[in-house]
Amino acid sequence: MENSITHIWPIGGGKGGSGKSFFTGSLGFLLAKRGYRTLLVDVDLGAANLHTIVGVPHPEKSISDFISKRVGTLEETVVPTFLPNLYLISGAMNNLDIANLAHEQKMKILRNVAKLSYDYILLDLGAGTSFNTIDFFMISNAGIFVTTPEPTSIENIYRLIRSVYFRKIHQVLKTHNFKSLAGEAEKRNPMATVNNPDLLLHVMNELDPEKSALLEHALGAFHFKLALNQLRKQDNQNTGALICKIIEKHLTLKINHIGNVSFDDRVHSAVCKKMPFMELYPYTQTTLDLRECCRMLLSAEEAASPALQNVVD
Amino acid sequence: MKPLRQQNHYEALEVHPDALPLEIRRAYKKAFELYQQDSFASYSFFSEEERKEILSCIEQAYLTLINPESRAAYDRSLIALGLLEEGKRYRDKTHEPITIYDLKKTRVDSRSRVKRSDELKSRAAQNPAIHDILTQDALAGSDLQEVRMNLQVSLEEIAEKTNIRIDILRAIEKGNLDGLPPLVYLKGFLKSYVRYLELDENIIVNAYLKNIGRH
Repeated sequence: MENSITHIWPIGGGKGGSGKSFFTGSLGFLLAKRGYRTLLVDVDLGAANLHTIVGVPHPEKSISDFISKRVGTLEETVVPTFLPNLYLISGAMNNLDIANLAHEQKMKILRNVAKLSYDYILLDLGAGTSFNTIDFFMISNAGIFVTTPEPTSIENIYRLIRSVYFRKIHQVLKTHNFKSLAGEAEKRNPMATVNNPDLLLHVMNELDPEKSALLEHALGAFHFKLALNQLRKQDNQNTGALICKIIEKHLTLKINHIGNVSFDDRVHSAVCKKMPFMELYPYTQTTLDLRECCRMLLSAEEAASPALQNVVD
Repeated sequence: MKPLRQQNHYEALEVHPDALPLEIRRAYKKAFELYQQDSFASYSFFSEEERKEILSCIEQAYLTLINPESRAAYDRSLIALGLLEEGKRYRDKTHEPITIYDLKKTRVDSRSRVKRSDELKSRAAQNPAIHDILTQDALAGSDLQEVRMNLQVSLEEIAEKTNIRIDILRAIEKGNLDGLPPLVYLKGFLKSYVRYLELDENIIVNAYLKNIGRH
């Protein structure tokens, strides 16, 4: 698979405890089983625990070895897991101040992650909407949101996706232009908050059509995925599709619902045993759901890059 | 996307201008489920004012479109503005007459059947190979196959016309004993097969059964 390109999937979700690390670990497990060289990167730097989920309780090296220059390249911090195709860059055993990563350090990690050559690189992001999290999320256009069907979690998803949206506008416009634009938008609609991106785009279209087209192109390049995690039997199975609909309609971003993952108490016991859930309980509904999610992600990826497919064929 | 208050009622409910009242009702129900106060999916996405505005928009759209008179008036106003074409608007067809007799029913043309049987018979008479095979005392499946090939009839065609499963027909032609049905059925199938080829059924069926030792 030398000529294939690396797919980078950042996995975020805003709220803590929604199962980002669990989802990342399981997805990595499935991809590796399918024969893809898969790398998991734990960029939840302040509260890393992906290593525990994939069964490497004491990783020898971690990402902070790279930041503090104990090793020369990011590749050297990769540790193997019990699965032959699954690799990990752990965020464990960091210095205590690592959560507050300086801008240059963050950019250095981003640049170097993009250079690694694997089939799939999954980034496990932390909770919250700090710039660190968002910038890691925006490393690729194929970010995956994980949420639970609870108002708190859904609230955080919207918060995160809006943050990504505004960060993109920031990036395209640079800070100065953004401030003048936001000022202008506020002047025209004194009642509305700047939180309404439709309004911003609308105002910008009038002020600077050229930049506006550029921005629309940048926002149109996003192709997000949404996985609904920890679904109980009594929950509405349709929630994921509805969330996607709202986002597509009111933020004009592309987002696909890739599936629901059933809640299972045994996830807790698998984590307590520090074993991968799918290995311990391969014949549960949750495992089936995760497989289905993986399949959907891969087919969405194929559909998104038909040109690439042709080159390979 | 246009802001909701600038959309027309059809756009607001995401239905086509010729949608049936049932579809409009359904679309409204769906939109209401999405935007109502207790909806999980839109929780925290909108401010209270935005939510109220959206709800009032879709409600107004629904109330206008579900009433035939107000819908017709609304359609006329859209047409006047050039936003809707006359031909694309909804018309209630339930009170218009519809045809109940379809006079153009296709009939099976019996003349072509006659022609077919004549043609098959003439082909069989003209081909000495067929004659040679059919005068044998015992006929193997491959002999039947050869006759059929010479008559230019496909196995699929036979399966379609006689309603015999194609795997059984294949088993017959291959002489594959395991794939054959019990003798009673086999006789019937063979008869249909031979009859479809317009050949003498009694002689051929007996010759075939003799060959596989089941007569």
